[in-house]
Amino acid sequence: MSLYSRVIKPKSLILGNGKVVDEPRSKAPLVIVLFCIASLISIKITGFDMAVMFSRGGQFLVILRKMVPPEFAYMPKIWQPLFDTIKMSLLGSFVGAVLAVPFAVVASSNIVKNRFVIVFVRLLLSIVRTLPTLVTALIATYIFGLGTLAGTIAIAVFTFAYVGKLLYEEIETVDMGPFEAMQAMGANKGRSFMYAIIPQVLPSYLSNCLFCFEGNVRYASILGYVGAGGLGLILNEKIGWREYTKVGMILVMLFATVVIIETFSHWLRSKLT
Amino acid sequence: MIVFRHVDKVYPNGFVGLRDVSLQIEQGEFVAIIGLSGAGKSTLIRSINRMHDITGGELTVDDADVRSLKGKELRRFRRKIGMIFQSFNLVTRTTVIKNVLTSFVPDLPFWRVLFGIFPQEAKIRSLEALDKVGILEKAYVRVDQLSGGQQQRVALARTLAQDPSIILADEPVAALDPVTAKQVMDDFRRVNQAMNISVLINIHHVELALEYADRIIGIREGEIVFDGPVSEVNEKVLSDIYAGKLEEVI
Repeated sequence: MSLYSRVIKPKSLILGNGKVVDEPRSKAPLVIVLFCIASLISIKITGFDMAVMFSRGGQFLVILRKMVPPEFAYMPKIWQPLFDTIKMSLLGSFVGAVLAVPFAVVASSNIVKNRFVIVFVRLLLSIVRTLPTLVTALIATYIFGLGTLAGTIAIAVFTFAYVGKLLYEEIETVDMGPFEAMQAMGANKGRSFMYAIIPQVLPSYLSNCLFCFEGNVRYASILGYVGAGGLGLILNEKIGWREYTKVGMILVMLFATVVIIETFSHWLRSKLT
Repeated sequence: MIVFRHVDKVYPNGFVGLRDVSLQIEQGEFVAIIGLSGAGKSTLIRSINRMHDITGGELTVDDADVRSLKGKELRRFRRKIGMIFQSFNLVTRTTVIKNVLTSFVPDLPFWRVLFGIFPQEAKIRSLEALDKVGILEKAYVRVDQLSGGQQQRVALARTLAQDPSIILADEPVAALDPVTAKQVMDDFRRVNQAMNISVLINIHHVELALEYADRIIGIREGEIVFDGPVSEVNEKVLSDIYAGKLEEVI
């Protein structure tokens, strides 16, 4: 009997033939109580104040209202940074996703038997994943200078860690049967991997890459804040100068781009599975 | 010809898989290996192509000393031994023909393997192998669209494309219904008789073993307790193999 059942006695159900079945009590009430306590504590700690929310919340709308109508005349100046943003995310996603493959293979416990190697590579992936993209971009601008190269590298680093983790988890759940069959046929480990494991993980790998690319377009649009090129650069500038109609135009274009890319990527991913 | 001389297999945890096994299997025999789960049937079959290492004795296949093979030699040795599995071990997300073509992967130049460009001859041989097991029309269908029996036939075709002289089958029909199981056993018989390929089958179904095999090997706790033609198998022999639990088998 579990600890929970010992503390809170199960409900006894009696069947027609006299057999007794103990139904463990639901854990939901306990979870709800704990959740409420945690919420109260976090409100205390963060100083969240409902009164301020009500009195100042309206200011959101004031800024939003200033963005309407967006200044369409500004559009021609947005194309270049917008394409920079897309280029950064596309190239960065591609480079990161390709680099992730060898690392993911080495991090898979069903392929590599050496515990030390696995733990080392996984630790590396987690550390890289913990770095916020904005911080990576900032560091990259110190090394490679201001501009889209720094942004591309920041995106690649994030994609590498993200796709790498998803891929090694995917590799670990494959059916090892075909791999065994390839080995029994006299194929070496590399060829067995290529023909038994890759076909199993390829669709979800591509799907993950596309999903990551979708997100990267959004990340890339703020990387300009630290000088890494793209939309963020002019977004930062126009907010600073309070030219909200231009900010509105930038957001509309970004929104349209993200929707188009997400729709396309969603359609592609639905074809993959 | 497969020869076991006083072969032992002890697993690293101390479990005895095989104990002083001696046998000789001639080219073209159809042998069924029967026994309880955990008696050592799989170990016996898998030691032949060195999917499992033996720890004592001598094992030769067509005069090759299996224990001394390593690396490239071992892989070349495995080319002429086909293997069939209980769970088929196919890549279910791709087509039938791609699964059969994998049997050429070990021998092709690396650039062909990398880009998946197979020579015309390999494609024709794969299709011929599918034709031999009667599922040629399924060649371009995805494996997960097929029934269990059809999948086991794809696995058999993959093995035939490899042009083996021996086929090892580890519980090939355990996952199949009785009717399909018979069809797959018919395939094995056809392959055995028409192409003179030795067939070694691990099997739980005693009645199928008796119907299809020429020779029965009974194994109990790692030891061979019976080895003889089907005609010599009687109730007493089976009771001995199954350690008195015969009622549960038949």
